[in-house]
Amino acid sequence: MSTTATPTNTKWWNGGRSPFNASYGKVMMWYFLMSDAFTFGAFLISYGTIRFSQNHWVDPNHVFNSFPFAGHANLPLAFVSLMTFILIFSSVTMVLAVHEGHNMNRKGVEKYMILTIIGGIAFLSCQAWEWTHMLTGQHEVLVNGQIELWNTTVSHNPFGPEVMFNGKEVATPGPIAFGSYFFEITGFHGFHVFSGVIINIVMYIKTKMGHFDQRGHYEMIEKAGLYWHFVDLVWVFVFLCFYLI
Amino acid sequence: MSAHSASPEITFHADHSGGTKKIWRTFWLLSVITVIELAIGLAIYNIHKGEAPNHTLVLMFKGVVCILTLAKAYYIVSIFMHLGDEIRNMIMTIVVPLCLFIWFIIAFLWDGNSWKNLRNTDAGSREYKTEQVAKPAAIEKGAKD
Amino acid sequence: MSSAATLHGADVHAGHDAHHEHHHHETFITKYVFSQDHKMIAKQFLVTGIIWAIIGGLFSVIFRLQLGYPESTFPWLEDFLGHWAKGGKLDPEFYYALVTMHGTILVFFVLTAGLSGTFANFLIPLQIGARDMASPMLNMLSYWFFFTASIIMFSSLFVQTGPASGGWTIYPPLSALGDASSGSKIGMDLWLVAMAMFIVSSLLGGLNYISTILNLRTKGMSMTRLPLTIWALFFTAVLGVLSFPVLLSGAILLLFDRNLGTSFFLSDIVIQGKILPNEGGSAILFQHLFWFLGHPEVYIILLPAMGMSSEIISVNSRKPIFGYMAMVGSLFAIAILAFLVWAHHMFVTGLNPFLGSVFVLLTLLIAVPSAIKVFNWLTTLWRGSIRFTPGMLFAIGFVSLFISGGLTGIFLGNSALDLHLHDTYFVIAHFHIVMGVASFFGMFAGVYHWFPKMFGRYLNNTMAYIHFWVTIVGAYLIFWPMHYEGLAGMPRRYYDFSNWESFKQFGELNQFISFISMIVFAVQLLFVFNFFYSMYKGRKVTTQNPWGANTLEWTTPVNPGHGNWPGEIPEVYRGAYDYAKDGHEFIPQNVPVGDDETHH
Repeated sequence: MSTTATPTNTKWWNGGRSPFNASYGKVMMWYFLMSDAFTFGAFLISYGTIRFSQNHWVDPNHVFNSFPFAGHANLPLAFVSLMTFILIFSSVTMVLAVHEGHNMNRKGVEKYMILTIIGGIAFLSCQAWEWTHMLTGQHEVLVNGQIELWNTTVSHNPFGPEVMFNGKEVATPGPIAFGSYFFEITGFHGFHVFSGVIINIVMYIKTKMGHFDQRGHYEMIEKAGLYWHFVDLVWVFVFLCFYLI
Repeated sequence: MSAHSASPEITFHADHSGGTKKIWRTFWLLSVITVIELAIGLAIYNIHKGEAPNHTLVLMFKGVVCILTLAKAYYIVSIFMHLGDEIRNMIMTIVVPLCLFIWFIIAFLWDGNSWKNLRNTDAGSREYKTEQVAKPAAIEKGAKD
Repeated sequence: MSSAATLHGADVHAGHDAHHEHHHHETFITKYVFSQDHKMIAKQFLVTGIIWAIIGGLFSVIFRLQLGYPESTFPWLEDFLGHWAKGGKLDPEFYYALVTMHGTILVFFVLTAGLSGTFANFLIPLQIGARDMASPMLNMLSYWFFFTASIIMFSSLFVQTGPASGGWTIYPPLSALGDASSGSKIGMDLWLVAMAMFIVSSLLGGLNYISTILNLRTKGMSMTRLPLTIWALFFTAVLGVLSFPVLLSGAILLLFDRNLGTSFFLSDIVIQGKILPNEGGSAILFQHLFWFLGHPEVYIILLPAMGMSSEIISVNSRKPIFGYMAMVGSLFAIAILAFLVWAHHMFVTGLNPFLGSVFVLLTLLIAVPSAIKVFNWLTTLWRGSIRFTPGMLFAIGFVSLFISGGLTGIFLGNSALDLHLHDTYFVIAHFHIVMGVASFFGMFAGVYHWFPKMFGRYLNNTMAYIHFWVTIVGAYLIFWPMHYEGLAGMPRRYYDFSNWESFKQFGELNQFISFISMIVFAVQLLFVFNFFYSMYKGRKVTTQNPWGANTLEWTTPVNPGHGNWPGEIPEVYRGAYDYAKDGHEFIPQNVPVGDDETHH
């Protein structure tokens, strides 16, 4: 941190140094995240493609309108906002942990890592509630002239276009791709959050044991942070694709 | 710091001594954008509830939400992931390959849209739809899924 | 300090006196099995690749037997394949399994892992002047994931219902519905699991290659002084890292369709009179996802062969490569275009025709960088003092095959022509020449050229010349006639053509092709024999730089230890192609630029 060398005259690409002024570990992490971005990108683009190929799609405000302990109150977008804020906040604590790492402040890193881990677990818990709610919540659907009770699963979607039946509006079966993609993509994202939490716990233990003080830098925290922010980044797009539009 | 600078890969160390002000400012920025997005989401909800939904308006709102999401992504990558603090070479090697997404998205969605047109005109495949017998009962199956 | 060194694995050796590194106690296990030395990992990839190539090649001989001699029976086949060849007649189901596994094995396990796994591992640290890969640990894991994938794929050959048989492209619904065919059952699941392992392996490898090339070049090794091999391997790794995840996504969605009742790729399907509940999915979506990997995959296979051929042609023509920057630029252009053209594999599957025409335009653009490369190879050869070493012959053979196979690509890239040519033997001929045999030639060229560096011995030249001439003549004799069959409309993936009046005329031609393919396969066994024989009994290499080449790998001892250079890593002062310059036959990269030297 003492160097004041100006990077302007450096011949970055001439060998003997990193052209990015970054360790290979960090470069690798960035490229891994790029690669993962293509995995998620492919999922979300497939979702978009199928959605474009359908005449009718589900209105997210009808599906995601409940809140724990709120009974049958119609609260569209409320719960997912909570989830989003939890994830943004855990991102902030993560970046603060990285910041403390730059200052070689072990106590600070520990504190913020704990907060980040709690944020991650809270997000996963919310997701568990939402999944349970969708998998068990039953809705009336008109199937072959009869009313059935359906829950939302990977192969059933009770949120199709509404028709008049016996004098009241009833939904027909909707595109089953909705549930398939919802569970598949949020599941894959949740898996990333889960592995992020595990990584963060390992980093916390390593910090606690003083590994990074011995090493003289907290670059591992930085790399774990990159992963964690990426998970947040993906959620931003999942939030967009499934809940907002 | 000495051990870190022992690596020949690193030419100089970035200055991280700045405070946490920037981080918190980004946090508030992200929060505000999210709140705006939610407001638009609710606006769309209310438009749909109305008698004659204005589809152009809905589409416009959705476009705005997409742009806001890209803004959020920019702030997360640039501030939280510190890409903005890296040197230009690094930024370019991350950003340029992401441009592949442009054609990836356009081509896929374009084809998806054309399948819809095919579906709506292809009578053959619709016929099975109407004949289709009962789907397996959902309630018991749902638990298994 | 010491723990910092373990983080920066490759700098371990740089930090300490490298001499001591070599005297670490190495057991058999750490040296040959769980080795972290990039050279040993490269050899592991190569030997595994050779084993796979023999299996994949043997499969092609067996199904060629069926195509060439549809009316004959071969009792020995029953001894070998059991109930898949009752009475010596190949079972149709198993014919498809053989075709599928032939494609899968050769495309992924031989020409991806075996080719770029071998040469990226072997050449990157040696040619850029690094002690090892950035992360030797991940490098080792990359091999062992590949090994696990190999074991799973191999075991799928022995399951009761047979291995996957829906083609190497595993299009749904054949791959998504277990009831669709016997190969769609457990064989398909094993295929997907093996490919997931394979993708992890290629990802670990690719990340390592990229960060090593970027971060660990020795002093003076600027990007524009990199040997073309390294440039090619670099773009290969980038292609792999960005496109394999898309196949992973497709494979995950397919696993959901298979096991969890989703309908990502399924819609409106009637199977054995039963209407399936699936609706709303699209089989074309899978094709999009598959080919988003699949097309870059073609270049993942081809680019290393291009890079190595460029290197070998320049060394053995004793001339600088013509148009170094144009070569790099065209590699770059090919890498970019590789991501933009995937749907040209899908012109007749129900793709929007207007979208298809955009893909035609993008596809035909590939002809430009390809033509630049061919032109530069030929002009490098022009008036050179050519040494026809076996490696050189294979490199020239690569150029020849790339031209012949590339030209037919222009036919197939036109959606209007593709309507007629799609799924015929014309396609088989095209991609086997340009991607299959050409890449094999690049691989052979690399093996013949770098074998002295790998094992400290030469391959036997007589066997090498026999190998070359039989293979190149054989390859043209096998695939050239297929163009005519394809133009006449003979479809691919058919078990038996003898029932069609219009294809009966090709019976003798098919017989001829099958016959030649057996000879060519036998000659490959000669190469394998040569390889293992020369490893132990070949003529010993006595000089550091047997080919008189400029690149850094030839500045290491004949048998470099772990860490590559016993002393300091050499510094680099010039590009890799200073041949026939200022009266010198060649000037290695680590020779400082003299005052009297001309600048190019």
